[in-house]
Amino acid sequence: MAIEVVLPALGLTVEKGKILKWLKKEGQTVTKGDSLYEVEADKVTTEVESPVSGILRKILIPEEVEVPILTVVAVITDENEKLPEKYLTMGTATPERIEKPALPRIQEPSVLVTSGPTEIKAPPAARKLAKDKGIDLLSIRGSGPGGTILVKDVESFLSMERQAGARILATPTARKLAEREGIGLASVKGTGISGRVMKADVVGAKAAVRPGEPKPARISVKAPSVSTYQLGQVIPMNSIRKVIAKRMAQSKFTAPHIYFFNDVDMEKLLTLREEILTEFEETEGIRISINDFLIKAVALTLREYPLVNSRVSGEEIRIFPEINVGLAVAMEDGLIVPAVPRADQLGLGEIARYRADLVDRARQAKLTIEEMERGTFTISSLAQFDITFFTAILNPPQSGILTVGKVEERPAVRDGKMVIRRMMKEGLSVDHRIIDGAVAAQFLQSLKKKLENPYTTFLRF
Amino acid sequence: MREITFREAVVEALDIAMQRDPKIFLLGEDIGYYGGLFQATQGLMQKYGEDRVMDSPISESAILGAGIGSAIVGMHPVVEIMNIDFLPVCMDQLVNQAAKMRYMFGGRMKIPLVIRTTCGAGRGGAAHHAQATHAAFMHFPGIKIVAAATPHDVKGLLFTAIEDENPVLFIENKMMYNMKGEVPEGYYTVPFGKAAVHREGKDITIVATMRMVHKALAVAKEMEAEGVGIEVIDPRTLCPLDKETIIRSFKKTGKMIIVDEGNRVGNFGSEVASIIAEEAVEYIQAPILKVTAPHVPVPYSPVLEKEVYIPNEDGIKRAVHKVLEYA
Repeated sequence: MAIEVVLPALGLTVEKGKILKWLKKEGQTVTKGDSLYEVEADKVTTEVESPVSGILRKILIPEEVEVPILTVVAVITDENEKLPEKYLTMGTATPERIEKPALPRIQEPSVLVTSGPTEIKAPPAARKLAKDKGIDLLSIRGSGPGGTILVKDVESFLSMERQAGARILATPTARKLAEREGIGLASVKGTGISGRVMKADVVGAKAAVRPGEPKPARISVKAPSVSTYQLGQVIPMNSIRKVIAKRMAQSKFTAPHIYFFNDVDMEKLLTLREEILTEFEETEGIRISINDFLIKAVALTLREYPLVNSRVSGEEIRIFPEINVGLAVAMEDGLIVPAVPRADQLGLGEIARYRADLVDRARQAKLTIEEMERGTFTISSLAQFDITFFTAILNPPQSGILTVGKVEERPAVRDGKMVIRRMMKEGLSVDHRIIDGAVAAQFLQSLKKKLENPYTTFLRF
Repeated sequence: MREITFREAVVEALDIAMQRDPKIFLLGEDIGYYGGLFQATQGLMQKYGEDRVMDSPISESAILGAGIGSAIVGMHPVVEIMNIDFLPVCMDQLVNQAAKMRYMFGGRMKIPLVIRTTCGAGRGGAAHHAQATHAAFMHFPGIKIVAAATPHDVKGLLFTAIEDENPVLFIENKMMYNMKGEVPEGYYTVPFGKAAVHREGKDITIVATMRMVHKALAVAKEMEAEGVGIEVIDPRTLCPLDKETIIRSFKKTGKMIIVDEGNRVGNFGSEVASIIAEEAVEYIQAPILKVTAPHVPVPYSPVLEKEVYIPNEDGIKRAVHKVLEYA
């Protein structure tokens, strides 16, 4: 039977993808799981695997053409099977045709498809649960008839999310082995004390991984090329730039921004950091940065003001179920914002490790879509530049972004005397549709208090 | 407690009611000397005489008309329409007159009328003597509808029906007359609009009526061995209907099967499904299934009647397994 290959749903907000390269040629034999083609969507390049084994009979969408997700891009048939006629008439799409609605979409449900679901099937109870928990059904795999997403699927998704957020107990050997084998500790059932994951558990989990199961799509962020700009030059936007342009315009023109600033006395926090730096590095294996304290303090403040951790959806304000703090990372040409998940629940050591790993992989262009999309609030720091303060545009769909200027010695008045203190200006942009000035001011004030009293703030958590 | 049959419970209720209230009289075809086609009025004419237990001509219009008229002027008639299949003969009197008179005359009269009738296939009665058309009467405001499933309930519900000041259509499934069950002595009532939860379960809610309650219970018991908990609810009265109990159970299980012997279209279960869709949509975890008779006349062939027409345990089990795909 002819099987259609479609452009899968690549992420929650992805609508279109551009086929960069066909890795197989028409007429070539493909095995289920082989990489068929590379697609570029939003800021990432993904390899899409073949849903079945057979002959790649026809490529419907050529390279460098952008099509909406779920578009049929190729047809795979059995070895001796001819291409069904309807695909012959479809011909090969050209860029001109793509703009028109007459796309080679999935036409009959009779033909089984692919990697991405064509429609979400879920009974109302499952939809309600997902909606209440702020989960997109697209991210859940249904186990019911015809892939229907059941209540239990939503529940197990939730518990997996919880597990991923909770600290996983594991022996160092198990941790190392899991890392080497690429096995997520969250998916391994621990048999040790208090459910601690032991080496044997990881070995068992490795054996249990069935070879036929599809691997998650490999994702890589294309490192942009260095270019020297010249006067009069015309530069076509690459896909990262297009996404940034679209999102920033969308944010700025739909969310009315308001901005707030205050001064933070960083003396105590910097002293604390300096005091613990060496020992922290020895015990936690990571050099703690001011950003780590910021992430934690912001997360704790978001817990006090959940409205700042929300998004607008139609006429609803949806408060995110988690606090995932994103950190804007500048790339040579562009910007991405990986997020530390559930930062309110993590210790400073864990935050530091997450932060270092995410920033590192962001620069190596090795982030996953999930890591980039899970943020619920963003911190943007220009502390390394000679910038006192700045305003930032909200990172949609989020409703709050914190800006951090440089720390510098400034004269300050303490107990009626002029002293020199290390000060920092922090700024907050919020979406005034849902967050009023007083709430934003209180948020910023509470954050300032946390940073200025680091012992109380960070010892408690 | 002593056990008596469904039939004996009906006779006993009529007997006690007639002793308590001299205004009660019975009217119907062959209910006197013969004791009723199903012997549900056995011995009452001998006990209360021809004035209070009257054999009528073969005219449903006459039976119901006389019943309505005497109720208006202060009697408490309990009339019998032999088969629910015959009610359309006197449909106007039932749904346009009896059901609406009190309303249309501004409450100036009461119609304390009980219409006993039988329903159900299983005796080779074919298309005119074996239907289960109870759902059709739910459509008309002004008629209370009783659908008892146990000897205990039929006796208590009959007392409540007789006490009621409005027309009550009291339906007895003819295949249940010989069913035995515990029945208290003397007078007691079972309230209208209060469902019986015959069995509790956490996985699936089955709402079943009359004879189907017992088939549902048999399946529930069997499925328990497989670890599936089925809650079996018997509404006991279709109007008023105990929505609260049904919805409460559904909110717990999220899965619903309705088992009813009526034809499939416009079935009692269609109404239950609609209530769920309107009032508990966000609890729906699986398709709401009806197990009913197919939408055909009752076949005369005993094989078709038994194996194909009347909903049975196999059909209920199929529905259960289908729903369990969503568990």
